[in-house]
Amino acid sequence: MRKDLVRLIASQFGKGVFKSRAMLPIIGILLLLLAYATYSGIQYHDQNHFREDHQHMARSSWENNPDKHPHRMAHFGTFAFRLKHPLSVFDFGIESYTGNAVFLEAHKQNTVNFSEAGFSTGMLRFGELSLAMILQLILPLVIFFIGYSSIVSDRENGTLKILLTQGASWKEILFGRSMGLFIIAVLLITPFFLATMIFLLTEDHTVLGDWARFALIGTSYLLYASILCLVTIAISASSRSAKNALIKLLGLWLLMAVLLPKVSQAAGAYFNPTPTKLEFRAAIEEEVKKYGDSHNPNDPYYNTLRDSVLQVHQVSSVSELPFNYSGFVMSQGEKISAEIYNRHHDLLMARYRLQNLPAKWLALINPYLAIRNLSMALCGTGFESYVDFQLQAEDYRYMLAQKMNDLQIKYISPSRLSGSEGKRDVLNRETWKSIPDFKHEFMSLSTALKNELISVISVLLWLLLSLWGVQYLSHNAKAI
Amino acid sequence: MMYRLLFRQFLRTQACQLGLLLGLFVGIASLFVGQQFLKKQDRIALEVEEKQQEHIERNIKYHGDDLGLLLYYLKFSIVNDQEPIAALSIGQKDLNPTVQSVNIMTLEGQRYDTDLVNPNKLLYGNLDLGFVIIYIFPLLIIAFTYNLRSEEEETGTWKMVSVMTRSNLKFLLSKLLVRFTPLAILMIVLFALAGWFLKIPFASQLFPFFVISFFYLLFWFSLSFWVVSLKLSSNFNSLLLLTTWLGLVVLIPSMVNSYVANRFPMPEAFTTIINQRDGYHTKWDIEKRGTVEEFYEDYPQLAHYGFPTEEGFTWHWYYAMQHLGDVESSEQSRLMVQKIEQRDAVSKELAWFIPSMHVQLIFNDIAGTSLNHHLRFLKYIKSFHEDIRLYFYPKVFEKLTAESIDWKRFEPFHFKGEKRSFDWSKTLLPLFIGIIVFIGLSAFGARQSFSEI
Repeated sequence: MRKDLVRLIASQFGKGVFKSRAMLPIIGILLLLLAYATYSGIQYHDQNHFREDHQHMARSSWENNPDKHPHRMAHFGTFAFRLKHPLSVFDFGIESYTGNAVFLEAHKQNTVNFSEAGFSTGMLRFGELSLAMILQLILPLVIFFIGYSSIVSDRENGTLKILLTQGASWKEILFGRSMGLFIIAVLLITPFFLATMIFLLTEDHTVLGDWARFALIGTSYLLYASILCLVTIAISASSRSAKNALIKLLGLWLLMAVLLPKVSQAAGAYFNPTPTKLEFRAAIEEEVKKYGDSHNPNDPYYNTLRDSVLQVHQVSSVSELPFNYSGFVMSQGEKISAEIYNRHHDLLMARYRLQNLPAKWLALINPYLAIRNLSMALCGTGFESYVDFQLQAEDYRYMLAQKMNDLQIKYISPSRLSGSEGKRDVLNRETWKSIPDFKHEFMSLSTALKNELISVISVLLWLLLSLWGVQYLSHNAKAI
Repeated sequence: MMYRLLFRQFLRTQACQLGLLLGLFVGIASLFVGQQFLKKQDRIALEVEEKQQEHIERNIKYHGDDLGLLLYYLKFSIVNDQEPIAALSIGQKDLNPTVQSVNIMTLEGQRYDTDLVNPNKLLYGNLDLGFVIIYIFPLLIIAFTYNLRSEEEETGTWKMVSVMTRSNLKFLLSKLLVRFTPLAILMIVLFALAGWFLKIPFASQLFPFFVISFFYLLFWFSLSFWVVSLKLSSNFNSLLLLTTWLGLVVLIPSMVNSYVANRFPMPEAFTTIINQRDGYHTKWDIEKRGTVEEFYEDYPQLAHYGFPTEEGFTWHWYYAMQHLGDVESSEQSRLMVQKIEQRDAVSKELAWFIPSMHVQLIFNDIAGTSLNHHLRFLKYIKSFHEDIRLYFYPKVFEKLTAESIDWKRFEPFHFKGEKRSFDWSKTLLPLFIGIIVFIGLSAFGARQSFSEI
């Protein structure tokens, strides 16, 4: 392959495209969508202000508590508000479908509530216009439109034959045109990343590793675009007529970007039904009760526990123990119920992952799904980062509840067997301030990538496959 | 005669066979998705019926001698009753739980609990019949009609057609009819299957759903026909129609959605839950009398129960504190509900201009799966909560035991929703206008162009 010739073919193709009348409206529409998506991305991200404000509000009322019995504070609890990753400006991922606030209290794992979807009128289900969505869904259409006739039209009108007889090889023509198409795609993509970059530069809420993520996202979309360009050229070269090439490409787009994702997710959900909240809770309650019911005064488990504690300390009643027994019982109960809850929660998440499995593995044959999954994960807006938030919130809740139980065991009079009301048996208010607030840490980049290994492999495989396809056609394509 | 030939010719094309097969396959799949959804809802409703009494009995066994403590543990379930039609347009129902259980403590902390759902499943959306009609049918229409005229021109048969037929327009219209018939039959088949398979009552539920779907079908046909009548090439038609489809079923609704979401952000939701917590918990630290006084302001009919002593714990005081959690968050809660209503109203107004959105919202309305329907459920829960509180308060304050109460009354409650009166004219008008506009445009174009040839 002669590099200068490839370059010449590429630049000729590029110039031709920009001369065409259709380019202006395409660029216009893309820019309009870009502006709207950037605007709503920033607006969505700005909701972080509400969330931070409320995190502070919840915290300050926690700190403002007077001297109290620690069990009152265990019930006072606190909230975890989910913060958006700065890159959520680029890709909204599942953010609108996940809850944003959860109440963290003793004895009880609450649901994460107030998702945007819960407040939405059902229009949300049409999809969301984000920068990533435009690149994933609209960019292929634009590339197909620009490139579908690139080879086949020249064959139809005989230019191809002239080009070949003038000394250009098939390989040079195909790769040159692919390159030309790719350069146009890069020109179209660049503003999207510029917009994201400007946002990252001006945003105060930075997260460690933003730029590494940004670079990876940029690279993956470039790879995605190059796959699209090569596929376009390959289909154009192998089709009988321009019309035929267009129909194939549009059909491919519908299949890959509309039908397969929906059907695969629906199939995953259909064959892996999940429990509702009611069933989920009932199962946990059932198991906790089997262990022992601390509300039942004659419960064998808790009676045995009490007797053995009394025996170890060689006293005859719990009020004679050197520590507060009711705090001890609650800490045992919390441990048991949290363990059971976590096990059930893990099972539920495993079930969700099973539901997501078809869409995850189909990424291997569907580059649209691959880039979609990868992009979400890199922007911290995917499924795993939400699961991670829930785990962190539950860890904090457990820590807080047990901390309050520990304080009760140590500092509350052993003779106080029940109740937490009133001004006796209280701890100094400074205690509350000494307990750190909830802080959500974003999942590390390496974990995010590891979770989406299939998508990474898919993008690379598709790149090789499409390169090979064009290479293959350069030996087998017909000039007439 | 010509009609029959055209029909046979069309049925033999790959596009027709593949398209109808796809439509049938996805349509039937959607019915299974709907059936699974219904079964799940029914199962839960049944389980709640079974478990409620058991739950009450078990708690009476442990805490029957202290009604205040018993009611701390007791939860009462309210079932948001499901009509079979919900299977066709699952709407917000995947997210909002069918059963809500509340106790007589602060409501605002309990009312907004969402169901457990896989967010990825929500992201891709439900594959219900509504989806098939709103998304897939237009695609089939586009695939069937984009080259209605241009294929004749591109294969060189158009001139022959012009010579052989009396009117080009009539020829195109009969071709259009040939493409319309199989799709209309497919739709009828799917609805018949839905009615039979999911046992949806015809007159009150299935029929309106069908009529709207049918009008939506007509709308897309008239839109496609207009594009076809512009006399452009097949390639251009396919791109133009697909872009229109993308605009109508993806881009514009998503733009409207983010407009509505950003115009009415919901920080009040967060403030509500913080206020309800603080409103209740801070009462532990202040004089009891003040708390109970505030409680009596809302319920003067209970004032004769007097005031608890400052020392020690009483349920009287405890439930007064709980109530104040609701009182102190009521303003934020009201604002939140107001914003949800505004979102709903603005969406509906804008949907007038966007048939896909309009049809989706109407589907959800008919199916009882809309945001608005859930809001009514939330309001019902609120009044239910007030009712049971007012029923139990005096009994708790009089320190009665569980025996004094007829627990049989506390079967799970059912929210039926109000009878949905279906406003035909308001519902069909936007679609009707769309259809007229495109027919008009095509007719106008036809008068100018078809006659020339």
